[in-house]
Amino acid sequence: MAMRQTPLTCSGHTRPVVDLAFSGITPYGYFLISACKDGKPMLRQGDTGDWIGTFLGHKGAVWGATLNKEATKAATAAADFTAKVWDAVTGDEVLTLAHKHIVKSVNFTQDSNCLLTGGNDKVLRIYDLSKPEAEPQEIAGHTSAIKKALWCNNDQQILSAAEDKTIRLWDKNTKEAVKTLSFDASVSSMEYIPDGEILVITYGRTIAFYKANSLDLIKTVDAPASIHSASLHPEKDFFVAGGDDFKLYKYDYTTREEMESYKGHFGPIHCVRFSPDGELYASGSEDGTLRLWQTAVGKTYGLWKCVLPEELSSENSEILYCPPAEIKA
Amino acid sequence: MKTPVSVLRLPSGPEPNSRGFDPSSPRFTALCSSSSSDDDDDDEEQQRLRSELRQRFLWTLSLMKHKLVQFDMHERVRMRARFGASDLDVLRLQVSELETPLGVQREALVRSQDVLACSFEL
Repeated sequence: MAMRQTPLTCSGHTRPVVDLAFSGITPYGYFLISACKDGKPMLRQGDTGDWIGTFLGHKGAVWGATLNKEATKAATAAADFTAKVWDAVTGDEVLTLAHKHIVKSVNFTQDSNCLLTGGNDKVLRIYDLSKPEAEPQEIAGHTSAIKKALWCNNDQQILSAAEDKTIRLWDKNTKEAVKTLSFDASVSSMEYIPDGEILVITYGRTIAFYKANSLDLIKTVDAPASIHSASLHPEKDFFVAGGDDFKLYKYDYTTREEMESYKGHFGPIHCVRFSPDGELYASGSEDGTLRLWQTAVGKTYGLWKCVLPEELSSENSEILYCPPAEIKA
Repeated sequence: MKTPVSVLRLPSGPEPNSRGFDPSSPRFTALCSSSSSDDDDDDEEQQRLRSELRQRFLWTLSLMKHKLVQFDMHERVRMRARFGASDLDVLRLQVSELETPLGVQREALVRSQDVLACSFEL
């Protein structure tokens, strides 16, 4: 019996959601952090979307947010010219790292000891979190604002995407650019998959896959609309993408064919990410909401319950919430 | 026609008056339970001090009512006004006869986040 996708809407933000990130799988499940222009990043339980807490402290729009693998630390990048590190269990602010301009991106190393930041001052910075008073190491080279900076190759290299329409691969120790990719359009998003060393980037209507250590192109796929973000499933069988037309697209990674598209958001989609177990993906939108979508529609997981038709009309159906059929204008 | 997938409930949203991070959650108690009885005493003392400060603040707000208050703002702007009330979250202050650099405003709401300091005679 064919099932229709029921996205779970997480409300709470009052402005566009511009970035989101999942933690790894911890003994307490996995977690999701969302960056929002309202300046109040939120932590949620990853499989249900339940709100856990709000990180209060930034005085401007938060452009980037990340969690470490264990979900014990969070980092945020904001328009108030600071990056902040937080205790993700208590919600307390641990560190404020002053920058000279808007900070757009933050990323922890695997051991959570170093934080990489990038933003409008065009410089990548590496902070040693065990010595927060020390000056960060700086890597300069981009000629425009940095949009995204990620650790890769066992935290020995850094990938950065900037408004100068380049993606650069840097060696952390020599601080030299090992390789540069140039594009005709600005890169809208970048995702790094350590297992398999794959880089997913989006620009214009294209979703492109590269080998992260060589920046060799693997394949590209064109979507019906301008894409702002894409994410590859951990098993590398699907990828999802979203952008200007408010829809989520699901593609078969091997055949590159579009499998499904989902409506739901009321604004452009800014970010989309698969959960670490691949069972769901989360999207953040200009409409101020986060939505969780099932990878296998109809499967019992998190708040979704697989229900047989007979059960829907039985006495037990009060415990279930059946979303009303959408009325389309 | 496809049947929509059922859900047990909707994701819970933020609490209006709390920043969350419930200290009684299993994760919090497991990862932050390094408190000894000394820490408990410190916590109690801290809480007592916080309550006292909060009380003093609320008393100050109520004493300010009808008084002429001077507000120190950014860019060395100083304004005087007759204080009326504060809203619940102390986000906005209701004032009358606000003397601004652009003239006197009969009734106004001042954003408390913009105020650096305020002073008045008891």
